[in-house]
Order: sequence, then structure tokens, then C-alpha cells
Amino acid sequence: MSTHNVPETFSIPVGPLHVALEEPMYFKIDVQGETVSHIDINAGHAHRGIEYLTTKRTMYQNVVLTERICSLCSNSHPQTFAMAAEKIAGIEVPERGIYLRTVADEMKRVTSHLFNVALLVHLVGYETYFMHMMQVREIGQDMLESIFGNRQDIGAMCIGGVRYDLDDKSIAYIKGALDKIEAETKDIIKTFKTNGSILRRTKGVGVLTHAEAITCGVVGPVARASGVDYDVRREAPYAAYDRLPLVVHSLTDGDVWSRAMVRLEEILTSIDLLRVCLRDLPGGPVNINDRPDIPPGQAVTRSEAPRGEVIYYLRTNDTPQPERVKWRVPTFMNWDSLRFMLQDAKVADIAMIVNSIDPCLSCTER
Amino acid sequence: MSRLPQDLEARLTAAAPAGVEFSAETDQYGVTVAWLGLASAADLSPVATLLKEMGARLSMITCAQPSAPEEEEEDEDEDDEDGEEKAETEPKETPKSFGGTPLDGTSYEIDYHFDIAGDALTVIAYVPQGGSIASLTPLFRNADWHEREMMELYAVKVTDHPDPRRLFLDASVDGAVLERLIPFSTLVNAASTKGLWERLLAGKKGAA
Repeated sequence: MSTHNVPETFSIPVGPLHVALEEPMYFKIDVQGETVSHIDINAGHAHRGIEYLTTKRTMYQNVVLTERICSLCSNSHPQTFAMAAEKIAGIEVPERGIYLRTVADEMKRVTSHLFNVALLVHLVGYETYFMHMMQVREIGQDMLESIFGNRQDIGAMCIGGVRYDLDDKSIAYIKGALDKIEAETKDIIKTFKTNGSILRRTKGVGVLTHAEAITCGVVGPVARASGVDYDVRREAPYAAYDRLPLVVHSLTDGDVWSRAMVRLEEILTSIDLLRVCLRDLPGGPVNINDRPDIPPGQAVTRSEAPRGEVIYYLRTNDTPQPERVKWRVPTFMNWDSLRFMLQDAKVADIAMIVNSIDPCLSCTER
Repeated sequence: MSRLPQDLEARLTAAAPAGVEFSAETDQYGVTVAWLGLASAADLSPVATLLKEMGARLSMITCAQPSAPEEEEEDEDEDDEDGEEKAETEPKETPKSFGGTPLDGTSYEIDYHFDIAGDALTVIAYVPQGGSIASLTPLFRNADWHEREMMELYAVKVTDHPDPRRLFLDASVDGAVLERLIPFSTLVNAASTKGLWERLLAGKKGAA
């Protein structure tokens, strides 16, 4: 290559408001020609000080507040928070409540994963298929709205159980919706394995090696796509996961395609889990029907949100307000791992790679 | 039952010469949650090195300023300096943490939450006001953001951090935000002006 062909280095800003990014993320990217040579991450565009706010609210108000930290994992936050409070107070959730928690969790996982993979297809440029996938997701959103009365913040959790119940009619309705989503998802998986446009844009792109995944401490589908076989539902079971036929999917390539494929396979697993839950749903109360004071203490609880491990640390004192609530969401580490994924990537692939970690900034920055 | 190594407590005790306070509890799912209080924050690095060798994953770091037991809500209407003076003028004996850090509402408790094959271990270090703690970022890459966040929320110092920039808060915002009272309207950035009403009223007058 002659010297006048050597490309110059440019710095380009990507974000904080960018047509192809769903979240207010801000990357300062140095490019050499079309290739990314250095990435700097600037965070803080969605910082709201919720951690401070939790210490000004009572424990029971915080169930409502934590649900509003994030919209796509809006069920995982109050659930993990409630689990911490229950651990401190020694509250035992009734059996039916345990199963209904799992039902709410898995319903949210199905719609969250479908949303992320649909957006990936949009970024690939396959708009008709994006529309189709969003339509499939809409079956799930209708299901959430019909059962919980809301599409995103479903308000299912409370300390000591859940706030909703299912009857035969709603169970039959959910089963019907799941059948539709399952058939469509199997079709989507087939498309992802064969469609040239999707394969060309996603295979071997944005690779996070197994070693890098361990170094960054990534979790969720991002970790599992890089061969880190870890799922909180299996490793540290909660709710009804210890008695469900959970299959953990992991792949080894660590590219955008693998992350999407792990999510798609997990949708099918979630549907299986939902069917078992609905079949085995025990009778009895759905919650303890009481609001006991939470005594002083501390607890660490974890759950598997759609994006990976969510961990809560709760410390209570003699007052109705908690002394400290701290949580860490999957995007916290997955975001940092983008430094590895974006290194030497093409500029045109940046948005797609960023999307492949399924970023959620409002819960990362709190 | 527990997936934590059998000799975990012994190995941790050996790594922390100043002394440890260990407790563990296994729930009905067979998941163990263990706590390890360190008598000296200086023992954090050797303990973390040991955990790294054992293949532990750093899950989260929590920094907190436990309030003094005798005065709850001590941050109600005082800023940090006032709280410190109050603690000095009160002759009452201040309770101490394990390891002897005074719990007067100004000290920090830093919890390092680790995951060992699915079980949780929390290492607790106490740091007095004005003290510092060693950075774990050289050992665990993902400690980076946690420590940067800790430094902007509290006045705690992290030594040998490779990149001690602000993380979420802009450099123009004063530090240690969780140690000060911040009005709610400022916190949610909803402070509004009377500009709109003044314009409306002026318009109304003009029309009349």
C-alpha cells in the first residue's frame, strides 16, 4: 500500500442522541478509515439519583419506585428488592405466589428478548422482518396488558408475594398466546440460521472472547454467548426455578449473532417454563396479605433479569425507610465490555454491536 | 450443601492477619450467602487476591455511610461538616464497628459482593472519614466503574485507581453528593422559573 493511501485517524462522536442508538449512550470513537481504533465511553446522561430517593421512601413505597428504574426489566427490580426485604424479615412467600412470580418474570423475558432481537433486525436493515418481529412481540405485549393491565410496568410484585392472580380463563388465554409466540419464534430462529442478510451482518461481528467475558465480568445472554455458562436461575435459584426444567443456552462464538441466538432460544425455554408453571400452579393465597415492619438487617439477593444477573443489597434500620439500597444491573459490566467488542469493528456495525448487549441505561445509571 | 470451598473461612482468615468476622447462611434452595467483616481495610487486597485465585467474580461494590445509632436521619438538615462537629462535641461513647472504626455517621462501610460458583460472599471493609481504600481494579476489571461511582457519591478515596475520572456525574457537579442535602427539585432537575406565568399574565393584561 502506498503512503498516500494510508487512511487518516478521525474522532467521531456516537451519541448521546443518535439515530441508531435506543439509549442515551455517548461514545467517543477514534476511527482509522472505516475501522474503530479507540473507544471512550462517557456515561451519565440518564442519571436520576434513584439510589438516594430509595432512602427517602418507605420499604413498601420502594416496591413501586424500584419498578420504575427500568421498563424492560421492570419486573426484576421490585422482585429482587422484595426478596431482600423478605429475607431480612423472614417472610415466606406462599407457594402460589412463588409460581406467579415466575410467570410474571418469564412473560417479561419473552417480550424483552423479542424486542431486542427485533431491533437488531432493524439495524441490519431488514425492515419488513423487523415489523414482523414487533408484531410477534405485540402478542406478548397484549398478553401483559390483558393480565396485568399494563404493557411495561406490570406491578405484579409486592413484599410477601404478588399482586395478581390467574383464573382458568386467563390461563387458557396465556396458553393460546404462548402457542402463537412459540410457532413464530421457531420461524424466527430458522430465519436467523439461514437468511443471508442477517448472517452477513452479524456473524463474526463484535466478538467478545471467553477470556474477555470473564475479565469484564459480563452476565446474561452476553456472557452465555461467549461461553460463560452462568444463569442465576440455575446457579442461585429463587422463586420456583429450582423445580422447573430450566435449560441454559450458551454458545461459544461471542458475536452479535450468538447473542441474538441465545436470546431466541431462551424465549422458547421461557415458554416451556411458563407452561409448566401454569400446569403446576398450586392453590392458596398469592401473597401474605399483610404489611409487616421490616426489622433492621441486611441482605444480598440476586435474580436473572432478561439481560442477566441483577443484584440487590438492602440494609434496613428501625425506621420505615431503608438505610441503603444498592443494586447493579447487567448493563453495568456489559457496557464496559463494548470496548472489546467495538475494537477494530467497522463504523457501520457500531450501532448493531451496541444493541447486541441489550443496553439499559436508565437502570445502569439510576 | 454449600458450593463455597470447605476451607474458605480458614483461607480467608489466613489472608487477613488483622482478623475477620465470618458468617454464612444457606437458604432452602441451597444457596449460601456469606459475610466476611475485615478488621482492617488494609487486608482487602490480600483477601481479594485470594478470591481472584479461587475464581470468584466481583458482582457489585456498595459504599454506604451507616448512620450513627443514637441519631437517626442525621443527614436531615445538616451537611457533612456539621455532622462531623456534632459527633465531636457529643461526649457520648461512639459505637465502633468490628475492627474499631467509629460508627458516628461519617465513616464508610464498603461492601464487596462476590459470586463464587453461584454462592454469594460479601467482604466488608470499614473506612473512617478522610480514610482511603485500595483499588481492586487491577485485580477485577469491573471494579473500575464501581469505584469511580463510589468516589463521586462519597468523599471516600480510592488509592491506585488507574482512571479516577467522574463516571455518571459531570465534573461541574460538586462531589460527595450522598453526603449532602440536595433539595428534591434540584435532585430531579425539575426546578422551574416563573417565566411562563409572567408571560401569560402579561399577555392577559395586554388583551384586557
